Amino acid sequence: MPLRRRLTVVFMLAVGVSAAALALGSYFVVRHNLMSDSVASGERQARRNLAIAPTYLDQGTEQLLAAYARGGAAFLTVGIRRGRPFSSRFMGIRQVPAGLRRIVAHGELGYERADVAGIHYLVVGGPVGGDTELYFFFSEQALRHDLALLRNILAGGVGILVLLAGFAGALLARQTLRPVGRASDAARSLAEGLLETRLPIEGRDEFGSWAQSFNEMAAALETKIADLSAAQARERRFTADVAHELRTPLTALVGEASLLADHLDSMPPESRRPAELLVADVGRLRRLVEDLMEISRFDAGQESIHAESVELGALTAATVRARGWEERVRIEAGEVELTSDPRRLERIVANLVGNAAEHGGKEIAVRVGRDGGPFVEVADRGPGIPREHLPHLFERFYKADAARSGGGTGLGLAIAQENARLLGGRIEVWSEPGEGTRFTLRL
Amino acid sequence: MDEHVLLVEDDPSILEVASLGLEQAGFRVTATGDGRDALLRFRQGPFDLVVLDVMLPSLDGLEVCREIRRESQMPIVMLSARSELHDVVVGLELGADDYVTKPFELPELVARIKAVLRRSTAGPLEGAISIAGLEIDPAGFSVRKGEEDVALTATEFRLLLELARRPKQVFTRELLLELVWNYDYLGDSRLVDVAVQRLRGKIEDDPAQPTLIHTVRGVGYRFGQG
Repeated sequence: MPLRRRLTVVFMLAVGVSAAALALGSYFVVRHNLMSDSVASGERQARRNLAIAPTYLDQGTEQLLAAYARGGAAFLTVGIRRGRPFSSRFMGIRQVPAGLRRIVAHGELGYERADVAGIHYLVVGGPVGGDTELYFFFSEQALRHDLALLRNILAGGVGILVLLAGFAGALLARQTLRPVGRASDAARSLAEGLLETRLPIEGRDEFGSWAQSFNEMAAALETKIADLSAAQARERRFTADVAHELRTPLTALVGEASLLADHLDSMPPESRRPAELLVADVGRLRRLVEDLMEISRFDAGQESIHAESVELGALTAATVRARGWEERVRIEAGEVELTSDPRRLERIVANLVGNAAEHGGKEIAVRVGRDGGPFVEVADRGPGIPREHLPHLFERFYKADAARSGGGTGLGLAIAQENARLLGGRIEVWSEPGEGTRFTLRL
Repeated sequence: MDEHVLLVEDDPSILEVASLGLEQAGFRVTATGDGRDALLRFRQGPFDLVVLDVMLPSLDGLEVCREIRRESQMPIVMLSARSELHDVVVGLELGADDYVTKPFELPELVARIKAVLRRSTAGPLEGAISIAGLEIDPAGFSVRKGEEDVALTATEFRLLLELARRPKQVFTRELLLELVWNYDYLGDSRLVDVAVQRLRGKIEDDPAQPTLIHTVRGVGYRFGQG
């Protein structure tokens, strides 16, 4: 049960129980007093009746009843004179409670309550002389009615109080718990990345200081994350700037190297070899800078897709042919049409096949097909990659064999994976030392 | 050959090595590193082609491109960093014929220049084509729409000629890249898209509702109704 409802229910219970106790208490006090009053006035009347009884009894029981009636009697009378009962209308000796008769038989005044024909009576009885008992039935119907009314009023009052308590409790609970609700909303929006979220500080109570601590935490978090992302952005911008700044001198270098390359044959032997190395290293540097520029574009989120209709098998075959690998690569391609970015697909396929050509030995098998989604699988029968390297293969500058610098930049697979991700796919790797390696591009 | 190339590039090393490379490839080169100076030289002319870097002091390459296009349909090849590919699209929209990204190899630049020049010189030995209200004359490099001459760049002209020569045939972007730009493998399809846009702007009555050059979704382009 939510806290708010629980608080409301507790509040209602507390108010309900105390109001009910109060109502019951006052009801019983009132009832007791009314009943006692009724007995007192009944006894008073009975004593008066008993006192005048001997005067009329000698003239007969009928005379006595008539005298009582003349006095405006608000009671009914039952009597026994010398073993013979007599009574007003509607009443008889049978209606007199037995316990009361015993008391009266002892010669004392007594009372008891009795119901006759659904009507509540106070019966007061007493002896007259030695041979007569008189019992007077005073109706307590009005009294009972008043009590019932009082009971209903009290019960209704308690009910209304409980309802009011419910409303008040709900209101109070909402008021009290509002800061909690607000705090949980605030925490959620923090979690969703709205780091500027703060709580209003109301009052100087516990919630107020809590809100203040919450705000301090949020501010600290915001600063921390801002610092972190600024640092990351700086780092990425630096990489991008470095690559960018390298580009201009590199363009000049590449041009110069290609001019040199045209004239290697006419160079004296002692400068020819260094020139050859220079040309090759400029090529390596160019690939590295281009890869760095590409990866920093991915980091900056600047890469976009130019999707067209592509036939994956034809694209793969063309990629292999364009790189002059067709003698080493066996392609098994079904008809796989899709809408994607052909340049990026070509980059990925060229990277995977190029890796296989470099590390994977002579025979490379490329399969293009569809199982669930389009895929390109590049398998070789090379030495394979030790298991511990597999999880890191797609990391930047990760080299499975530290001693082997190879011809690659160390960014090829990272770029291929970024490209695959951009196209909504991924590259998976399987390798078994001694058996070979299999890279699969799934789209 | 002996075609005259105006080379505009602000980095002195690139300017010098590219000049050397182009000269060794048989071009006559006028080199400058400044945008305003480039416009001045261009007006003194005549040149057969302009190689234009995007980033230039005093007046940037895109502005120079715009100015040149205002006065002439001379072939323009842009130089750009790959990280500024947005500039490439702007350059193409301004009417550049092709682009080369830095760092580039000299043979690549030479190949692009030759491909563009081939478009503007070697007219196919064919008679004039008259289609859909257009008079296309390959020999005279001229297009008339009704009574008016339409000024097209060599690239736009070649694109129109290839499309109009086989009306109703659907050309993929790859095929057009091969036929018009001489890319034998995976050129930038935006070259085609931007050139088609420019061409429509010049020959269509309403370029937004083309009636001559139709887009075939997911495939390419077609001249006339299919």
